[in-house]
This record gives sequence, C-alpha cells and structure tokens, in this order.
Amino acid sequence: MRGDPLAEVCARAARLRGRAERVRLGEVTVRDLCRYAIAVGDDEYAAAARAAAAAGRPVVAPPMFLTSILSWQDGPPEGELRPDGLGAQESPCTEGLPVRQVHGGQAVRLLAAVAAGMTIHAERSLTGADRKRGRAGDFVVLGLRTEYFDGSGTPLAVSDESVIVLGDADEA
Amino acid sequence: MKPEPGTVCPPLEVTPTRVQLFRFSAVTWNSHRIHYDQEHARAEGFPDVVVQSTLHGEMFARTVLRWAGPGAALRRVEWRNRASAYAGTPLIFAATVTEVREAGDGHLVELALTGTAADGTVCSTGTVEVHVPSS
Repeated sequence: MRGDPLAEVCARAARLRGRAERVRLGEVTVRDLCRYAIAVGDDEYAAAARAAAAAGRPVVAPPMFLTSILSWQDGPPEGELRPDGLGAQESPCTEGLPVRQVHGGQAVRLLAAVAAGMTIHAERSLTGADRKRGRAGDFVVLGLRTEYFDGSGTPLAVSDESVIVLGDADEA
Repeated sequence: MKPEPGTVCPPLEVTPTRVQLFRFSAVTWNSHRIHYDQEHARAEGFPDVVVQSTLHGEMFARTVLRWAGPGAALRRVEWRNRASAYAGTPLIFAATVTEVREAGDGHLVELALTGTAADGTVCSTGTVEVHVPSS
C-alpha cells in the first residue's frame, strides 16, 4: 500500500470508534480450563479441577482465563492470516496494511467468577487511536475494550487493552 | 492474615520455554507468529520468540494469589509491557503491598507489580487489587 499506513489505521479507527459489537463466544469447558492451567504451569489447578468435575462440583476458572483468550472464533484459513499470523478479527484497523503490532498492556476488572459450563458473551469496542512519536518512529496506540457477560447478562469481566501498531513492517 | 503496606510477596520465578509459549498461544488461540515462530520473531528484530503479554498478566495474578492464600479474590489486574521477554529467559514476578483498606469481612489490598528478566531488564509493571478475607 502506498501512503501512510498509520494514517490509514487512524482513519479506520475513527470510523469504528463508538461502535460496539456483541458476540456469543461460547461455552467454557473443563478441558479449556485445564489446558490453560497446564500451559501456564499450574498443574495443581488442573488436577483439582478434574477432581472437582469428577465429583460433580463446580469448576471455577483461573481468574485470568477469560481475558487471556485472544479469539473464540474458528479463525480464518491459514492463507487469510496476516503475514504476522493474526486474523483480521484480532487485528482491527490493520487489514492489508504494512504494519506490525505488539501488545502494550491490559487492565482487567474481575466482576464475577467464571465456571465451566457457562456460556460467555462479549461486547467489543474500539475506544481510541492515538498516534505518537517514539525513538524508533511513529506508532499508533489502539485502545480496545471487551466486556464479558454470562448467558443471563451478568457482567463477568472488563478488559481494556492497548495494541501498539508500528508502521515499519517490510511485508504487506 | 493482616496485610501491611511494604509487605513483599514471595516472588514467582519462571523461565518460559518455547514449548510453553507455543502451548499458551494454542490455548488462547493467539496465532501471532512472534510467539512461536523463531524465524519470524528474528525478522521482526527479536532474538527469540516473545513471551505473550497475557502470560505476564497470568504470572502476576499467580504471584499475588499464592501470597494472599485461600479465599482471596482478584478484583483488578493492570500491567504495561515495558520491554519484551523471550523464551529461555528467567523472569521474576514480584509484588509489594502499597495500600490496605478495610472491606467488610476482610481487606482490599493493592500491590505494585514488577516483572524482571535475569539481566535486570524490567519487562512489565502494574498494579493489582485483591480481596483478602479475614482469617
């Protein structure tokens, strides 16, 4: 793409800002929770969760589970991923642009426990796009908010994260 | 437990492996190649695959919950990424109590968080609020 890709990121963000997208993410399973725990090295959680499930007791999720999941979608076919491996859904405002991105940070508010068997819904919105100048050049900080609910609409968590978009990728 | 400002939690020491980062990407359905594709990570200027931001958050949460004990519940976790961390690099996640408020049947405790690599590089900083029940 010719021109200034970061300006295009900001223009796309301006069009998306304030528009919330509500989606049904799906049901949390004991296997999801145990795989997460094993991946982060919390073997004790996985053993306790399997024992609780076998005994018919509730299995409460690790607190950071919900907001750590980047995508609940099946995802696009490999050929439709960006060169950096992300899908368009996880990479707002950057489709087709020669940019790369890194995560800037996250603020998570935990409002209620998540348990296996719950169906999770989320409302996502883009909260801001600020162009800044750093030592290595310009970048854009995208603000993304995701609010999570259970099937009855009870709020579970709110995540505000920042994604730093850099305009120096060498591949489009 | 009666927490006091200045209390230092036992640090959590973790050395993420490439396999761990791959599996964490898999379970969180994070296909960003900087986390599991060494060649791609190097092409983006990183020496090795990069530790996921959300894994920093998870390690901060575990650091605090291990210290806070049974019945403790996280209310808020915030962190900023200051520098990238890589597979094979020992990381230390630390938390220090900064504020304690009465909260009904226990205390709301705020802690300052730091994730530091073995060479002293501060990779992430943040704060957490946890409800600690009266024992």
